[in-house]
Amino acid sequence: MTKKIEVDFGLCESNGVCMGIIPEVFDLDDQDYLHVLQEDVTPENEKQILEAVRQCPRQAISIREE
Amino acid sequence: MTTSQLVFDPFSEEFFNGPWEIYRRMRDEAPVYYNSEHDFYALSRHEDVAAAYKDFATYSSAYGLDLATVRSEEPFAAKMIILMDPPEHRQMRSLVNKVFTPRAIEAMRPMVTDTIDRYLAKVDRTRFDVVQDFSAFFPVEVITQMLGVPEEYRQQVREWVDTSLHREPGQIDMSEKGMQAIGEAMALYYKLIQERRANPCDDMFSRLVAAEIEREDGGMESLDDFEIAGFATLLGGAGAETVTKLVGTAAVTFARFPEQWQRLLDDRSLIPAAVEELLRYEPPVHYNVRRSMREVDLHGVTIPEGKPVFLLQASAHRDPEAFSDPDAFDIDRNRTEAQNLGFGYGVHSCLGAALARMETAIALERLLDCLPRYEVLWDDCRRVAMQNVAGWSHVPVRVPD
Repeated sequence: MTKKIEVDFGLCESNGVCMGIIPEVFDLDDQDYLHVLQEDVTPENEKQILEAVRQCPRQAISIREE
Repeated sequence: MTTSQLVFDPFSEEFFNGPWEIYRRMRDEAPVYYNSEHDFYALSRHEDVAAAYKDFATYSSAYGLDLATVRSEEPFAAKMIILMDPPEHRQMRSLVNKVFTPRAIEAMRPMVTDTIDRYLAKVDRTRFDVVQDFSAFFPVEVITQMLGVPEEYRQQVREWVDTSLHREPGQIDMSEKGMQAIGEAMALYYKLIQERRANPCDDMFSRLVAAEIEREDGGMESLDDFEIAGFATLLGGAGAETVTKLVGTAAVTFARFPEQWQRLLDDRSLIPAAVEELLRYEPPVHYNVRRSMREVDLHGVTIPEGKPVFLLQASAHRDPEAFSDPDAFDIDRNRTEAQNLGFGYGVHSCLGAALARMETAIALERLLDCLPRYEVLWDDCRRVAMQNVAGWSHVPVRVPD
């Protein structure tokens, strides 16, 4: 079972809190579009991903288990 | 020693003056509080308030946003995004949200700074009222300019908003004067909308006139006047009276904790952290009211379906389970201990947050410039008496000789 990062782009409002927490995964570009640079939740990044999930003001990020 | 009965009355002097002790008792004794006089529930612990904000399916915004409207049991008629649930909410909010991203707001820094400086230039810097002479003016000026309200009407919008929010102790429903104020504001917005339909320009009214949304039948349609006026009413109201309060609270709080003001004088890079701590310590918006859409079992209490539920973020911010030493005002605290709910959380989180943060930060910069040492004239400070927002209407300060 793998865990993947999912972003609801209808909710995302480019606040960039996620990028502030883990820029290797979340990148907000100059046009205010969010790019998920890599979508796997790993033991190394899990804590920060969960922080991004919690701190997103719009609750636009979730984790999908496959 | 007998314990007094715990009563949370959001239309009381106690609330208007800062109900921190009542909040503490609610968290400790009645985390799912029930007010039998007015038949409403209230959540006061951080974990519960945060979860409720996220759970829009259980806690609906569609029935109103205060006790008066939510208790009426009919979904509220106005077409404002603050009163919508998903899925309708998503589309409507998407019409305006690009204007309010941190990046888009940052581009407005010169306009906002200029507006703040214009009002500050008029005050007597040795002695003035931080709210009445300063913070009452620039927030509404900024948002109404963004909307496209002509200059001569902008401060009038503030007066209409204040009138509509005002409550006397014990008054739950909006007054006649309040309804009249809303009517007058809507009339102005309708007039401006017609003008923009004929002659669009670079403002939010024009943007909303040009926008299209997908209706229930699948067709794309533009917004009607009622919907556009609803946006204007919401943005004007939210933009007008919240930052006004936060800046007033700042002047009072830093006077109570002068060592924190000194921290800012020594290091202005802490200004954004100070804004967050002010929002935590005394948020202008103490609560929002939702309607329970199903029965909820929490902390041994059952909230029936169809009841008003107050989500008390001001209390959540003082929850020791969430924040260490929560009653300490500390701009250096670890802000990631728990979510700051001052701008709400989830789908309805404040659209104007980046703008509010920037306005408050610039205002603090200017106050640091002109009030490095100041005294508050405590006897002449006055609190507002309003629905769901709390703060000062008067904060006179003077520079000591």
